[in-house]
Amino acid sequence: MRIPIEWLREFLDFDLSAGEVSMKLTMVGLEVEASEEIDGDTVLEVNVTPNRPDCLSIIGIARELAALLDLPLKMPESDIGEEGGPCEVNVGIIDDDLCQRYAGRAIIGVKTADSPDWIKKRIEKCGMRPINNIVDITNYMLLEMGHPLHAFDMDTLNARAIRVARASAGSKIKTLDGVDRDLSENALLIWDSARPVAIAGVMGGADTEVSGKTKNVFLESAYFYPSSIRRTSRTLGLKTEASYRFERGTDIEGLVKALDRAAGLIARITGGTVSKRVDAYPRPYDSKKIKARYQKINRTLGTALSEDEMTGIMKRLGFGVEKAADCFFATAPSFRTDVKNEIDIVEEIARFHGYDRIPVTVPRVPVSGGRKSKHYSYMSLIKESLRRSGFSEVVNYSFMNYSMLDLLNISQDDPRRKTVVLRNPLNVEESHLRTTITPSLIRNLVHNVSMGIRDVRLFETARVFTASGEPLPHEVHHLGAIYLRDKSPVLWKEDAPDLYTVKGALEAVIKELKIEDVRFQPSSEMFLHKGKSSDIYLSGKKAGYIGVLHPDITEALSLKLSKPEVVMLETDLDMLMSLIPDAMVYTPIPRYPYIERDIAMIVDESLRAGDVIDLIRNYKSDLIEEAVIFDSYKGKNIPDGMKSLAFNIRYRAKDRTLTDLEIESVHRDIVETLVKRTGGALRGA
Amino acid sequence: MHPDCPPTFKLTGKIMLDIQEIKNRFIHELAAAGSLYDLQQIRIKYLGKKGILTAKLKSLSTVSESERPAFGRLVNEVKVFIENETDARERFLKRIELDKKLASEALDITLPGKYTAAGSVHPINRVLKEIIDIFVSMGFDIEVGPEVEQDYYNFEALNIPKDHPARDMQDTFYINDDVLLRTHTSPVQVRVMEKKKPPLSFIAPGKVYRCDADVSHTPMFHQVEGLMVDTDISFSDLKGILEVFVRRIFDKDVPVRFRPSYFPFTEPSAEVDIGCILCGGTGCRVCKGSGWIEVLGAGMVNPRVFEMAGYDPDAYTGFAFGMGVERITMLKYSIDDLRMFFENDIRFLRQF
Repeated sequence: MRIPIEWLREFLDFDLSAGEVSMKLTMVGLEVEASEEIDGDTVLEVNVTPNRPDCLSIIGIARELAALLDLPLKMPESDIGEEGGPCEVNVGIIDDDLCQRYAGRAIIGVKTADSPDWIKKRIEKCGMRPINNIVDITNYMLLEMGHPLHAFDMDTLNARAIRVARASAGSKIKTLDGVDRDLSENALLIWDSARPVAIAGVMGGADTEVSGKTKNVFLESAYFYPSSIRRTSRTLGLKTEASYRFERGTDIEGLVKALDRAAGLIARITGGTVSKRVDAYPRPYDSKKIKARYQKINRTLGTALSEDEMTGIMKRLGFGVEKAADCFFATAPSFRTDVKNEIDIVEEIARFHGYDRIPVTVPRVPVSGGRKSKHYSYMSLIKESLRRSGFSEVVNYSFMNYSMLDLLNISQDDPRRKTVVLRNPLNVEESHLRTTITPSLIRNLVHNVSMGIRDVRLFETARVFTASGEPLPHEVHHLGAIYLRDKSPVLWKEDAPDLYTVKGALEAVIKELKIEDVRFQPSSEMFLHKGKSSDIYLSGKKAGYIGVLHPDITEALSLKLSKPEVVMLETDLDMLMSLIPDAMVYTPIPRYPYIERDIAMIVDESLRAGDVIDLIRNYKSDLIEEAVIFDSYKGKNIPDGMKSLAFNIRYRAKDRTLTDLEIESVHRDIVETLVKRTGGALRGA
Repeated sequence: MHPDCPPTFKLTGKIMLDIQEIKNRFIHELAAAGSLYDLQQIRIKYLGKKGILTAKLKSLSTVSESERPAFGRLVNEVKVFIENETDARERFLKRIELDKKLASEALDITLPGKYTAAGSVHPINRVLKEIIDIFVSMGFDIEVGPEVEQDYYNFEALNIPKDHPARDMQDTFYINDDVLLRTHTSPVQVRVMEKKKPPLSFIAPGKVYRCDADVSHTPMFHQVEGLMVDTDISFSDLKGILEVFVRRIFDKDVPVRFRPSYFPFTEPSAEVDIGCILCGGTGCRVCKGSGWIEVLGAGMVNPRVFEMAGYDPDAYTGFAFGMGVERITMLKYSIDDLRMFFENDIRFLRQF
């Protein structure tokens, strides 16, 4: 709401600069967001919160300021002669659930013309465009009093009748802005005897508009039910100064003042005569008493205000106050539709006492200490581990472009196709909620490579969303990572293939969390390199994948690198975290020495080292402490189609020093088993 | 006896000279020994089984009895001298040799070291962690709720019925009439109150969504909600908690200002401003000349919200607050473009 200081001074004598007014208003909840100098006047841009429609006017702001400064408010007078006699327009409210009051006056013998300069200037300062004197005066009154008025060309109203009723099936109207509008049956309309002439509280009709030919005017001042106006305005996508105020709540008692003052101004400026008032007001306003307990107020605020301080504030704000033993009863003025309950009174007292004067205390709560959830702690460990492995965290929008699933060759029956779709997305790229993090990471890669970055290691943890058939989708935490290292010259060589670098980062996480049951099986993902990929299984369930992006997809990304090898990873974090052991348990440090034995074998190159290790680990013997692979080699001295694998087995007993003799038979048996099960041969044997 | 040997009593001086000569020769040769090999040759020559001094000692019998003790002493003295000098020389040469070896192994220390550069934590999550740590240290727990939320929790139960103008304060992404992307973390308040009884104090961090994208809005951003409910929680407590928080998160004794505002789910409601940390309150571009920056929304829990959650509004009071993590992050690190957060450019990410 734009408030010219000069206009404000018409209703209140105050001795404050524009800056001081701004500060006062801001600190009472009417935030001044900006101010502008126009013709030697300062216009304040006041942010009026939705609960305070009474402040959407010059009078409203003046009234608040008057209460704050404890100064008298000079209410404008209206001088109406009512020489026009009884109003010729017949008013009837049909749907009185949506319209509680409809008042009006006829102004007879008007002459439309440009408004006088003082009116034009003021409404322009408030951001409205002058149209003609009659429309401008209704707008002027909207700005001054905060009540929207509407002027009809009275002679265009069939049978000079006004009926306030809902739209009927197929109701249509051409509004002032020249648009033909279909009306839903819920919309409240103003009808004459034959047709809709205005969308109540939103916009008037073009057919009954005040024009250069208008001789007689019917001026409407009504109270429409807020949520009805809001529904209509939203349905039509039509927001006006009037609808903005009606949907927030207008002053059902004060509306006649606005009507009278506008009618008086029109008569004075256009030279017409004003009729008597018509006023359909089936159930007059009855303000209810609100009980406010002194103690409750002080306890809620943490203050020690006296009874008089409290009631004094309410009186200055225009409330009726009746004191009782431990409480008072407040009656809100009709313009304060927002004050209905005790807590609303608490708020008024807090505002006017001043938030800055409320003490600063520490809550008295039982000492329990804050707890970080396990989920939060684990999440921190995971992120920290990935960070140590050189990965930087990204945060992406939770949206994705559905077509990315096609690019990734995700099959039609894949759960990742069960997306949650936004009804009102900003654009098609952001129209579905992510079921996978992979597309976002690919986008991050493309961006960074296009910026000339050649070493990309990124990860993200976020929820993904899968439609569930329930009202709310499944929200599952995923971890995703992407890795690209261009083969440009580096000083210190990294020898492991990139896949193992990413797998190593994942293994570091798994180690950190002390998770056991993780397995890698050939991947079924169509977007991955067949030979350089694996699905991740947690406790026997597929939880994700790790692998090199399929060359076709890498090519489609046009990274402009030669043979880029992009390694990606995505896994279900909730599943991963569910495998974290609840408590850490100390394992005693072994007291007796170990004996080591190495095994080097030549096996078929398709044989997986992990499977061989498993054979050793699954061998039933208490003496095997650990088995690791320490070499995997293809090439010189190894026949084509074969590879050499070397393992180290560490034997140890908990209760004694082992002798070579003791492990001899176990080791020999293991070697034999390996040879038999793998079909390989001992190297150098 | 050696045929050339003069009679003992006459030869004493000659013997002396002879041994002195051996010593002098040794000193000369030792000085010339440039390697451990040379040194070994000298050692053999003088001290070996067939060495010069060994021979001299063997010739003891040829010396007259009266001269024998003196002779023996003298030869021994020279022997010890030669041994010590040889050892010293050996140590010296070994040191030289090792130095040479070390010099030959020299590395160019100006070459860069090898390490796995650690990655980085996204600035939003970095600040989020700080926020969480501060509130946990003040006794708040952590709670979470769904990002895809029911209209009821996001609006209705927070005293924002359908057709309420306050819905205009937030542009909502809808899935259907009843399901939406949460526009704030406040629904977690309701979900927790439905499950737990007071006393309650927790924060709820998370992603929120609004259908808005321009220079100062992104369709997704992060909030931290806070709630404290008990039998006797007051607005002054809210001021206390938030003042501590603000001073700790900005690590400065910044001025804090509470001013009245409106949220349907709190009453009285407040916006919390801090003195502009860039200009110190004199007015700049960031604070739009006002000297103040809005960082939090807060207020006393509206009794309507308690009623809907099944709490007795006469028995309990509480406060709630909410803050935008992006905003605090921007202020902390002087980031002037909100969009940087979601572009995920490594040159940006690596700075944190």
